[in-house]
Amino acid sequence: MHGRLKVKTTEEQQKAKQEERAKKLKLYTAATSKAFQKRKAGELDTELLEITGQVLHVNPDFYTFWNIRKETFLHLHDAKESAELQKLYRGELDFLEMCLKVNPKSYGTWHHRSFVMDHMPQPDWARELELCNLFLQFDERNFHCWDYRRFVVKRSKVAAVEEFDFTTSKISSNFSNFSSWHYRSKLLPILHPDPTQPSGIAPHVIQSEFELVQNGLYTDPDDQSNWFYHKWLLGRGEQNQRINYAYISCVKKQILVSFTKAIKIGVASCEVLLNKSKVNVTWTNQNGTSAFSTLWISFPEFICL
Amino acid sequence: MGTPVKDITLPDNAPKTLLLQKHADYIAAYGNKKDDYEYIMTEYLRMNGMYWGLTALSLAGQLDRMDKKEVISFAKSCQTEGGGVACSVGHDPHMLSTLSAVQILTLYDAVDNLNVETLVSWVAGLQQDDGSFSGDKWGEVDTRFSFCAVACLSLLGRLDAINVDKAVDFVLSCMNFDGGFGCRPGSESHSGQIYCCVGLLAITGYLHKINTDQLGWWLCERQLPSGGLNGRPEKLPDVCYSWWVLASMAAIGRLHWIDKDKLRAFMLACQDEETGGFADRPGDMVDPFHTLFGLAGLSLLGDESVQPVNPVYCMPENIIRRLNLSTTDDAENS
Ligand SMILES: [Zn+2]
Repeated sequence: MHGRLKVKTTEEQQKAKQEERAKKLKLYTAATSKAFQKRKAGELDTELLEITGQVLHVNPDFYTFWNIRKETFLHLHDAKESAELQKLYRGELDFLEMCLKVNPKSYGTWHHRSFVMDHMPQPDWARELELCNLFLQFDERNFHCWDYRRFVVKRSKVAAVEEFDFTTSKISSNFSNFSSWHYRSKLLPILHPDPTQPSGIAPHVIQSEFELVQNGLYTDPDDQSNWFYHKWLLGRGEQNQRINYAYISCVKKQILVSFTKAIKIGVASCEVLLNKSKVNVTWTNQNGTSAFSTLWISFPEFICL
Repeated sequence: MGTPVKDITLPDNAPKTLLLQKHADYIAAYGNKKDDYEYIMTEYLRMNGMYWGLTALSLAGQLDRMDKKEVISFAKSCQTEGGGVACSVGHDPHMLSTLSAVQILTLYDAVDNLNVETLVSWVAGLQQDDGSFSGDKWGEVDTRFSFCAVACLSLLGRLDAINVDKAVDFVLSCMNFDGGFGCRPGSESHSGQIYCCVGLLAITGYLHKINTDQLGWWLCERQLPSGGLNGRPEKLPDVCYSWWVLASMAAIGRLHWIDKDKLRAFMLACQDEETGGFADRPGDMVDPFHTLFGLAGLSLLGDESVQPVNPVYCMPENIIRRLNLSTTDDAENS
């Protein structure tokens, strides 16, 4: 439970609450048992949509009921004409919008919406993007909505540049917008790829992003979003795998190799050549296991001259 | 003109010591109120709820207060024909409730009460071509379900049933500019998802793929002046997020990057002196979910009156040791 303040109540208030709850409970148990019954009997119809809807509207995490609705829709595909189906699905989208207004952060509701869009005869993707705009206006950090937006963008092939412009408008109205900065970090390598750079992004774009985030830092030096993005722009070089040092002891009959990045030698084998001839060696890491490590040791059976 | 930092102030009269016995009593009594409104309305997460409660009691060293037989027969009755476990009898199987069921039965060393073979093949059957996992047959993909699958199979010693390398690759494809992880490739970093992804990499022996300093920095910046940790930048502190952040930091060896005393004070302030139990924030309603994460968090912070907890599985450390499971890269259980 989140953000539910504990309040002191009088006995009278408690009694009233209990009565109200008893009433709700009666409706709830009647609806749930009827829905399960109908499902068992194979009565996948609009009445079942009605009943499960009553419960989901207040209890959107009741995942089995979303499943029942999906089953019902798939069943109706065989029974209904396309126009009628379209109408039913449109009604489902309206219902979902109502649910999202009550609880905009339910995984099940958002996933069901993507199911509906993937199954209705004529999905209106532009309308979905508008819906995302609306919900991001209510809460610009709702990651469920951002993820649904990325689903819509993918399905309807919205250009990356349009999404980039959307984040720009979000940031210009509020620099403290971690979700938008995050999205930019994903869009930049698509919009301005440059494989010659360690960042994979064209240098002039890094420069202009740098100026933008600097404005944010001046406006709001305590805001973390800007600083995280700033750090990301500054350093994105990837370290290459190489050998730091190799130590060979004839006395201990031991070879010790240190790598820049963790490696599993069993997979990418490390060959030892002695006087141009291959020596058979078994490698273990410093703990004597074969798990990923930067340090590898072997005790080869060769004789030093 | 700056955005004000979102935080709370700890009330002066908030609890300052751990009320362990009250929490144990609260949890032990919770399951007895089966006609309670709250209890009935949360049927869709009963199995998860039982895991929270039973684990909290184990950490308090009082698991024997629950009716073991009843718990086992409930978990057993929720397994469906296809192998997956539902949250309650009559509901549909789901990855979340399946992991909870396996965790509960592992606490009791009684997984044999489930049909392990069908369960393993049900979980394995939900792995997608890209290595990801869906939560059930309806196809919702999320890194939470990747963790559930891997944690569940490792507890059963059956990681061989899935393609571990692909599961790891999918999780790595969800890594972000800040070193954290989100639900799916492209999704924003979120402490809950980070916990899941770090956990998966810990179990499979791939923690070295994480940029430890970068992720550690993002995680330790979750601490607010009140001492509590939030789940994402510019959010309020919360006991459950405090656990997810703290456990992730423990898994990557950066626990010392936060102010432990201040976090401890925040967590203690979230206890309810009257009823027992922890809330998300001081003064809110308590629930078993936050009670578990409060106790587990205090355990990680070194409170010796609570049993040591394993940060990856969120189960008592002695159970994880009994199974000989490792959550560092030196593991060879993958
Ligand atoms: Zn919480």
